[in-house]
Amino acid sequence: MQRSFSIELPSLVPLQLPSRMETHLWYILPDEVKNTSLLKHYSQLLSPSEKDKVVRMRGNVLKKNALLARTLVRTTIARYQTNNAVDPRSLMFKKNMYGKPEVDWQNHKNCNNPPLHFNLSHTDSLIACGVTVHVPVGIDVEDKERKIKHDVLAFAKRFYSTDEVNFLSTIPDPEVQRTEFIKLWILKEAYVKALGKGFSATPFNTFTIQSKAGTEGGYNLRETSEMAVNSLEETKKCNGEWKFALLELADSHYAAICIEDDQASEESPMRVIVRKTIPFVEDELISESKLL
Amino acid sequence: MATSFTSSISMQPRFSQATTTRFSLQKPVPVFKTNLSFTLRPRSMPARLAISCAAKQETVEKVSEIVKKQLSLSQDQKVTAGTKFTDLGADSLDTVEIVMGLEEEFGITMAEERAKEIATVQQAAELIEELVLEKTA
Repeated sequence: MQRSFSIELPSLVPLQLPSRMETHLWYILPDEVKNTSLLKHYSQLLSPSEKDKVVRMRGNVLKKNALLARTLVRTTIARYQTNNAVDPRSLMFKKNMYGKPEVDWQNHKNCNNPPLHFNLSHTDSLIACGVTVHVPVGIDVEDKERKIKHDVLAFAKRFYSTDEVNFLSTIPDPEVQRTEFIKLWILKEAYVKALGKGFSATPFNTFTIQSKAGTEGGYNLRETSEMAVNSLEETKKCNGEWKFALLELADSHYAAICIEDDQASEESPMRVIVRKTIPFVEDELISESKLL
Repeated sequence: MATSFTSSISMQPRFSQATTTRFSLQKPVPVFKTNLSFTLRPRSMPARLAISCAAKQETVEKVSEIVKKQLSLSQDQKVTAGTKFTDLGADSLDTVEIVMGLEEEFGITMAEERAKEIATVQQAAELIEELVLEKTA
């Protein structure tokens, strides 16, 4: 679909695809994007329904962040189509039967690249997009300083699994307890988003995530059955199927990534390439990403 | 697309301040005595509009208060029945905290699947009233 625009957009620098078991994590810091004509360029990329959503957001900060989020998704995905340059404006999106957004490639039948998966997450001060090939991905980001308005343990008892509540209740320092709660939250969110079946299919108290002792950044996922009588039957390991990574971004945020591990490569940790970006302007490879 | 509007006209005023749904008739129909012209735009018409009873204004206001508190919004931030939490910048953690705040305020418990489906102030208020009714039944 051809649309003509009065302002010529600069071309996007193409990107190498992620390899298997590798996630590319891109993020924007909204505070670094202030140029109004750049923001105007971005708004030209959006579809009418995306523009509607931006308009619906209350206040300029939320509007800008909604604009940046769609810009990040469109430009990032367009850049991976290294064989044929794809206009970010021409990308179409659809939802799977549970509501998870994905790319609709109907207009780009010539693309013979392996299927790209993506997932978006944002807070007031950071917008992130994770990209993988072949396997579904889910990401969630949260401000490290985010305050929980309720009692953390009460919150956990209401929503988390028993093992997770036990883990949190052994933490004496309330600040540490709060940060561990948040890390668990984003890990669990990332899993549910990677699964892509929505919350009703995977309530938070039906699975437990805990860090693997002795490894850097490894996490176990177990399904829990609240109904099981025998504690041996209670946990069913589904360890080989999903990989997790938890890291710090920009010194201000935690990011959790979950990808499907269809090759059951249990021992090798997920590779994550983190880049900060301002679309059409610059990318910065973040080489030191603290894995937590 | 020819559509019959006879049942939808009466409930339209409830939501008119919260949504921008516009209605237009393709052909003039003698049944309607007003000069209003309506265009039905299915995309923006929530399905619940046709069948749900609107929650009490009092409940809607209490919900709005709790939402504003959770999201640290200023008192003069406009929050109405049709306001979506995500339009106010709420993420999933906010939504769950809002649900907990509502549970505390109204003395109810929302099942997680239903709580996660709440997208607007109106939906929260309706679910609350339903649960309060069940509790006192």
